[in-house]
Amino acid sequence: MAKVQTRNRLRIWQDVIFALFIRGLQSKFNDKFGISWAIIQPVSFIFILSFIRGAMNGAETHSMPTFVFMVYGIVSLTFFLTTLSASSKALQKDKPLYAFRQVVPISSFVASSLFEYIVKIVVILVLVIIMWFIDIDLTLHDPITVIINFTLIWIIAMSLGIIFSISSAFFPEVTKFQQMAQRPMLFISAVFFSLQDIPKEFWPYLEWNPLLHAIELSRQAAYPNFGAVGVSQQYVYLCTLSLLFLALVVYKRYWKQAISL
Amino acid sequence: MIHLNNVTKYYPSQLGNQYILRDVSFSFPEDRNIAILGANGAGKSTLFRMLAGSEYPNSGSISSSASISWPVALSTGIHAQMTGRENTRFIGRVNGVANLAKYEKKVQEFAELKHKYDLPVKSYSSGMRARLAFACCVAIDFDIYLIDEATSVGDQKFKRKAKRALMDKSVSANIIMVSHDIKEIRHFCDSAVVIKKGQLNFYDDLEEAISIYRKL
Repeated sequence: MAKVQTRNRLRIWQDVIFALFIRGLQSKFNDKFGISWAIIQPVSFIFILSFIRGAMNGAETHSMPTFVFMVYGIVSLTFFLTTLSASSKALQKDKPLYAFRQVVPISSFVASSLFEYIVKIVVILVLVIIMWFIDIDLTLHDPITVIINFTLIWIIAMSLGIIFSISSAFFPEVTKFQQMAQRPMLFISAVFFSLQDIPKEFWPYLEWNPLLHAIELSRQAAYPNFGAVGVSQQYVYLCTLSLLFLALVVYKRYWKQAISL
Repeated sequence: MIHLNNVTKYYPSQLGNQYILRDVSFSFPEDRNIAILGANGAGKSTLFRMLAGSEYPNSGSISSSASISWPVALSTGIHAQMTGRENTRFIGRVNGVANLAKYEKKVQEFAELKHKYDLPVKSYSSGMRARLAFACCVAIDFDIYLIDEATSVGDQKFKRKAKRALMDKSVSANIIMVSHDIKEIRHFCDSAVVIKKGQLNFYDDLEEAISIYRKL
């Protein structure tokens, strides 16, 4: 009969995340579109939205092509929202799998968020190809900062997802609060407007939002003449660190009860 | 082989916490095939799931150096949209099976799924699903198998096959079993643990345990 390897914890963790990842692929996309649907759907959504706004705004917004300006905003926002929703549903979705001792919720969180990360990278590649074809002047002055901010958004979304996921295991009402809370994100994250377009007296209502900072900073990193004001990279780091820490504390304290309910 | 250290387990409810185990310290003896007996609602399945690591006690800990199977309920971890083969590979990966291709083949043979193995599980009959789940479990070498009325799966022929496989297993490995079928318990087990009022008692003699269980 089949022999079992002795694995250390890290190896088990790797294997389980890989297995969950493949399982996600296999179970999600077995219609005719297959896996391509995961790419086509967000690309078309982002493309249409950016295109409409781009057409209305004129060719340039703060030295950036308007289309690119919109792409930064909408890709970051949808990335945040899809990762948040994937991560916050992960616990419930994989509940039957916790029958296997090796499968623990943190693997579900990581696997489902990782899936969103990879989908978004492919989405961005496809968008870049489209932009190249329609002759948009695409420059990327400081790719490292863009990648860092992109990843920070991902960590923030995953951490919030973990917190929501675990608290909704105890209080199902949390899901409703979460849906309500993420609705205004589209309007308060500098997706359509840059912070510099907004009168200073309204800044205090927007400045708390790390997603806004991350989006503006990515634009600034890509187009040095963008002129982002009122944003700080330190603040994004600080938010990411505190949310991740909070998520891990909540996780460590409550995961066993959450799957034993 | 399995040690429970000050384990307390309860479920919260409107009527206060419903205790299943209260500060239990207990060791399952080695090299025995053990039945878990108890009245309905006494917490057999919960204890079972805690031994498997599918659930955790509210306080205390459960430790073991042996490798323990997952509770082979009717379709643990089987995803209806995935094919039998994909499901097998998932279970193999999670459990760290060294040779997935060989494992796949074994499961296919044992579950007698033939070409249906490559169709989504949603097209299977319930018997076939149970056969797949059972085959996935017995095809892996564990020290202890947790069997939850799983020998009642499939048709007569498969039942016999499942029983034979488990009997072969009980030579090199051990079985912990939850079942209401006394005949089945006599067939596989040589001793028993009775759950009563949040405490566990081990009985070396199966017949003694059964007579106590009948009085519960």
